[in-house]
Amino acid sequence: MTSPSASDLRPTAPRAGAVGRLGRPLLIGVGGGVFVLWAVATLTFVLVRLIPGDPAQAVLGGPGSQASAEALAAARAEYGLDQPILVQYLMQLGRIATLDFGTSYSLRTEVAPLLLSQLGGTLLLAVLALALAWVVALALALASTRGGRVGASLGSALEVVAAGLPQFWLATVLILVFSLGLGWFPPISVPGPIGLVLPVVTLALPLAGFLGQTIRESLLDALEAPFVLSARARGEGERGIRLRHAIRHAAVPGVALSGWAFGYLISGAVVVETIFARPGLGRTLLNAVTVRDVPVVIGVVMITALAYIVVTVVSDAATRLLDPRSAA
Amino acid sequence: MPLSSKPRTRARAIPLAFVATATATALLLTGCTGGSTAPSASGTPTAGGTLTYASGDGEPTCLDPHVGGNYPQALLGGQFLESLVSRDSSGEIIPWLASSWEVTDDGLSYTFTLRDGVSFTDGTPLDAEAVKANVAHVQDPDTGSSTGYLALQKVANVEALDATTVRFDLSAPDSALLESLSQPWVAIESPAGLERGIEANCEGPIGTGPFTVSEWIKQDRVILTRNDAYVSPPADAGHEGAAYLDEIVWRFIPDSASRYAALQAGEVDVIDNAQPDTIVAATEQSGLAELDAPRPGSVNRLELNSDKAPFDDERVREAFIRAADVNDGIQSLFFGTAQRSYSPLSSVETTAYSDESLFGTDLDEANSLLDAAGWTQRDSEGYRTKDGQRLSLQFPVSTNQSIPAEQSLFEQIQATVKDAGFEVVLQPLDLSSWYGALGANEYDVVSAPYTKVGPDVLRILYDSSGITPAPSGYFANHAQVNRPELDAILSQASATSDADERADLYKQAQKIVLEGYYILPLYDQQNHFLYRDRVQGLRAMPTVSTPTFYDVSLSE
Repeated sequence: MTSPSASDLRPTAPRAGAVGRLGRPLLIGVGGGVFVLWAVATLTFVLVRLIPGDPAQAVLGGPGSQASAEALAAARAEYGLDQPILVQYLMQLGRIATLDFGTSYSLRTEVAPLLLSQLGGTLLLAVLALALAWVVALALALASTRGGRVGASLGSALEVVAAGLPQFWLATVLILVFSLGLGWFPPISVPGPIGLVLPVVTLALPLAGFLGQTIRESLLDALEAPFVLSARARGEGERGIRLRHAIRHAAVPGVALSGWAFGYLISGAVVVETIFARPGLGRTLLNAVTVRDVPVVIGVVMITALAYIVVTVVSDAATRLLDPRSAA
Repeated sequence: MPLSSKPRTRARAIPLAFVATATATALLLTGCTGGSTAPSASGTPTAGGTLTYASGDGEPTCLDPHVGGNYPQALLGGQFLESLVSRDSSGEIIPWLASSWEVTDDGLSYTFTLRDGVSFTDGTPLDAEAVKANVAHVQDPDTGSSTGYLALQKVANVEALDATTVRFDLSAPDSALLESLSQPWVAIESPAGLERGIEANCEGPIGTGPFTVSEWIKQDRVILTRNDAYVSPPADAGHEGAAYLDEIVWRFIPDSASRYAALQAGEVDVIDNAQPDTIVAATEQSGLAELDAPRPGSVNRLELNSDKAPFDDERVREAFIRAADVNDGIQSLFFGTAQRSYSPLSSVETTAYSDESLFGTDLDEANSLLDAAGWTQRDSEGYRTKDGQRLSLQFPVSTNQSIPAEQSLFEQIQATVKDAGFEVVLQPLDLSSWYGALGANEYDVVSAPYTKVGPDVLRILYDSSGITPAPSGYFANHAQVNRPELDAILSQASATSDADERADLYKQAQKIVLEGYYILPLYDQQNHFLYRDRVQGLRAMPTVSTPTFYDVSLSE
């Protein structure tokens, strides 16, 4: 840096502790989160309602059932579908504010307990996939930066291919090879960890590609940075330099990306849970959209948005801790 | 004429054909060698074991088929609930929970004698009061029954004469009552179970069947356990006493390729909704067998909306039917797994009447019919016009109800009728939007199969009273057939107690529907099951073609 930036000229505030450093951004994050949640609820409600059709049909059984007029009228009254649309919207918002997502049109149960029962499976899938993606991405980045130019381009090529794999295709190939070909893993979910392997790999591989690209770029930057040079000058071994200094630096963009990655995993769960016949939020969402089960759709979207916001705020905070520069 | 050359069939026969990986395909092909083997009939069935069933139908939202009333409920409900009567493969109504019945000459009163010594699995005895409570449950608006409600529409009163005798009094004669009562949507449940309220009953209805619901893990599986005290198989069952299987695990696997992969890998024993390419692949693989059980009621057919232009002109309807090349499409898309139909009724209905001569493809005939109807001009895109209006047809397609092969068939029909100058606008819609388009009369062509036991489905589908949309917008006469003479025939058929006269009347009714070019029949409602050949004794109920696992045993 040759010229001082504006912030350097201000009187410096007493250096705040880690909590203080995180407090204000956290507050902004929470405020923004509430706004995002409201916007998400409103958008979802409008979008679901813009499609012509009659949700009362969904209440009464969907395909193959022949609902009588009386039954439909009763269903409309029961679920408030005969109210003006604005009233329905306000009722929906009011319920969300009190964490009551209402009653599912098609499943006839309370939405909140239903989604809670499905949340665990999806979270487990997402967390395991995120962890596996990180392991694969780090390993790939460390290995490929060691191999010089050839290693780097090979690593980069692998990551681009992995990042571009469509999940439904990957899932099918994995089933063909590891279930039908080798017989190692079941093609559908079964109790126990063995049933988790293929779904987790399906979700993790493309993500590892994305993460790997980011991590490797910044790892290469870090390895040429002055602090690495001075560490080398101090006589630290290559291994120590990579693990102690470079990785910490290189992980920053990856951690920031994990917020986005979580959203990616939740949407990927729709595909993976359907193909592997796993219970979970993704499959619930797909079913609900198909029968236009508005309360469930809104519930899933709200939970996903909430999880996304929480993860983003947490990963922001983690970034600040890892990289003090971003706290300025 | 058949376009499906052998190489093409082979290519499509590979499950998960969209996978373009050479290694994967090679792996699969090695797994597919070996000839097809039919399950061998072994000696005495061995008791015990767990069978896993994988359903591609949506998971029911309620296990009580009284509530709503759709096919997934019938599939599951048939394993633990039973009806008063059943139907055998020749179409005769046979005893089940009712051992006999009598009908008065005016057809207004049916007296059923119930089977002795039958109890529900909660210990409640099956008696006349229980039957009465079930009819009341179906007819109670709070139950929200749709299919069962229609089946019992003419039942005005139920009288429990003594413990095992129950009389149904009708508001009008209904020759279809016994057929209606054979359906799983009006199965008899424990009155004590019904009293728990809809929500509790939905979780685990209590019946008299060979299995009971022991657990329902939402979005995953239903566990059915053998009822050891079972005594009431229908008259055409293969054995007596308790079922052979200990347990049925009923899973929901929405993805067709996953379902077949699970079957191949041995994770599941039976799958439903097998798609044409999968069926062909399975016949080439050893260890798998197929059960083809077309559903009763209507066939899959295109209904032409005769209420509005251009199909209010019979010549235009005939021109559309003459221009559409259906057979080649079925050949190339269904690989011989579906038989072309020329009847309004399913081939399982003994009263079905066919007339192939009405449906020959003839482009010249189509063109001259359209010329005669005044559609003489062609626009720049080659579509016919009349008074500046294009000969355009709206075709809403329910993506929930039409399988991919069927949607492709619609595209082939779209392409072939274009030669005659028809524009077909295919609109793939989700179910609610599809109902919406129908209710708003915004369609010219539609496909909406209807499952019901017996030919009375003709009354629902083609009586002019079925045109009037209910306030919901739902109605069943989508072709909007409005012919007083047809209404009269259908009413007579409902009222007659003479079986031959009834069959003749339904034949006349079908002739009117076919000869008026209101529908273009395609094929039976497809209902294919694939199973591993360790599954012995599997059959479909001749009522609504759901598989029954009562006679099933597992060989090892």
